[in-house]
Amino acid sequence: MRRSASSVLVGVVRQVLMAIFIVALLTFIVGPLLWLAIRALATSWTYPKLLPDGWTLQWFGKVLDDPQLFSSIRLSIAFAVTTLIVSSVICLPAAYAFSRFEFPGRRVFLIGLFATNAFPKTGLYVALAALFYALNLMSTFGGVVLVHLLGTIVFMTWIPAAAFASVPRSLEEAARDAGAGRFRVFFSITLPMALPGILVALIMSFLASFDEAQGTYLVGAPTFYTMPTEMYSLVLNYPRQVAAVFSILLSVPSVVLLMLVRKHVMGGQLAEGFQIR
Amino acid sequence: MAAIATRSESKRPGSSPPDPGRFGTDRSESRRRIGGLLMASPPIIVVAVFVGFPILVAMAYSFGHIGGLNRTIATIARGQHTVDSWHKLTLGAYLDVFNDERFRHDLGVTVVVTLVSTLAVTVLAWVIAIYLRTTPEGARFRSGVAKLLSGLAVVPMFIPVVIASWAMLTFYAADGFIRSICAELGFQGPTWGYTMACVGIGLVWTHLPFATLMIASGVQSVPDSLIEAARDSGAGLLTIVRTVIAPLTLVPTVIALTFTAIGTLGAFTVPYFTGPNAPSMLGVDMVSYFRSFNRPQQSVVMAVVVFAVAAVFGAFYVWANFRSAKDSGRV
Repeated sequence: MRRSASSVLVGVVRQVLMAIFIVALLTFIVGPLLWLAIRALATSWTYPKLLPDGWTLQWFGKVLDDPQLFSSIRLSIAFAVTTLIVSSVICLPAAYAFSRFEFPGRRVFLIGLFATNAFPKTGLYVALAALFYALNLMSTFGGVVLVHLLGTIVFMTWIPAAAFASVPRSLEEAARDAGAGRFRVFFSITLPMALPGILVALIMSFLASFDEAQGTYLVGAPTFYTMPTEMYSLVLNYPRQVAAVFSILLSVPSVVLLMLVRKHVMGGQLAEGFQIR
Repeated sequence: MAAIATRSESKRPGSSPPDPGRFGTDRSESRRRIGGLLMASPPIIVVAVFVGFPILVAMAYSFGHIGGLNRTIATIARGQHTVDSWHKLTLGAYLDVFNDERFRHDLGVTVVVTLVSTLAVTVLAWVIAIYLRTTPEGARFRSGVAKLLSGLAVVPMFIPVVIASWAMLTFYAADGFIRSICAELGFQGPTWGYTMACVGIGLVWTHLPFATLMIASGVQSVPDSLIEAARDSGAGLLTIVRTVIAPLTLVPTVIALTFTAIGTLGAFTVPYFTGPNAPSMLGVDMVSYFRSFNRPQQSVVMAVVVFAVAAVFGAFYVWANFRSAKDSGRV
């Protein structure tokens, strides 16, 4: 079949538009990150040059030697790990129950958990902070963990629930027929098959806590400065290169952890987990 | 409420009639139900106590009730409007806030920024999703491009919002990349740092991954046969998108829209870093009223206003779910 001249033209125009779209998207997404990353290695920078005046590694030493910045790194990890443990204990059994038991109010409760996401974050934290004064939770470790915990609940119930639900019941029943006990079935059939989904949830939750800034600032400052909240003052009080180095350090865990589960996240575990059933 | 009916129906637990042999007697059945409820209750309790309850307490505070749990905050706050008995209420704090021209302006700006960036996110996500969906299997170059696109769209998920905001600011600042490259090319570029444009760009950037994942997975699940049938009957790409793909992707699209809109409404970090001092978005206003001006009651009033705006978006979400349930004959 011969294509007419006009349809060839349309094809060319379409390809050119697509190429422009891709270059624009590339600049839009990656450009700012590269621009910031280069700063971490720059001695100084003169506008309007596209590259720094010279290269250096001294800023990395500066960050790691600063006791305040270093303590914020430790604090961030402490909060993230604590949040993850608390959240797992609270949410994972519930996720299993939501996927495997039929109980009164199941769907209402499942959707009700979304309440944490249905309120704009800053508004929710302001309301929460007012209550925290009464409960003596302002500027306490527990208060910050609570704020972080709220950011993980939807991830930790919905995504694992979808993962548990996708394990075929017939497999569990077959194992039970073969004489395996309830716990044996859970640990050797259900859990391994649901593991990718649970892993996605765990990592999303770890990062949600690790990256949480606004709630931590509202509830934790001035006692607790995690890495993200440290950034608020860092960009004002330190040279720009230090902020850039700090940014790279703060991004490393996210990038590494998300790379591990990239396939599952892109493969639909995340989107799957957010469909209401 | 329900998601994509065709997919969820088969997987829904309990959708098949209970097998009497497996559940045994009524008593073990009801024990299972109670056990399930108990196991499921911890996160529900956490959300009820630390989301639902504080919002009710805060609303009472915004109407002037300073007793009970609001006593501590009321003793340190300035400029409050209070009532002395439980059955009265005062709109004083609301009048304070709404009589402030700056707040009215900020509210307008917040809603406009939310609408514009939500729209931009959805359009971008749709373009990427359609490109992924229409990439033929054999085409090596195109599938490479498709991979690149879908990879790019999720990059922001890997980067903490604080870092993203800071990166946006340096990129669009007066001495940033955009201005530098314009200067190299010999003309004066725009300075977007510390403007609402930069806030909008930053919000689009941070919300793109979730919307793309939602919409792409929805578009991906439209059956090939439907698209091919439409193509065979001579429909162009736009017609196929409009008449076949879009109706089947309504729910994921609305989920993406709602989440982006609610996230944008409550954003603090992006506007705090990249925005101007005035006007600012309500997220920034709330935090500064709470922390810097020591006027938590006014801050809570703003929170209630933001919740009300979010409820409008939420209603849209419920409507879409209801419509899809109706279309599939389940309501």
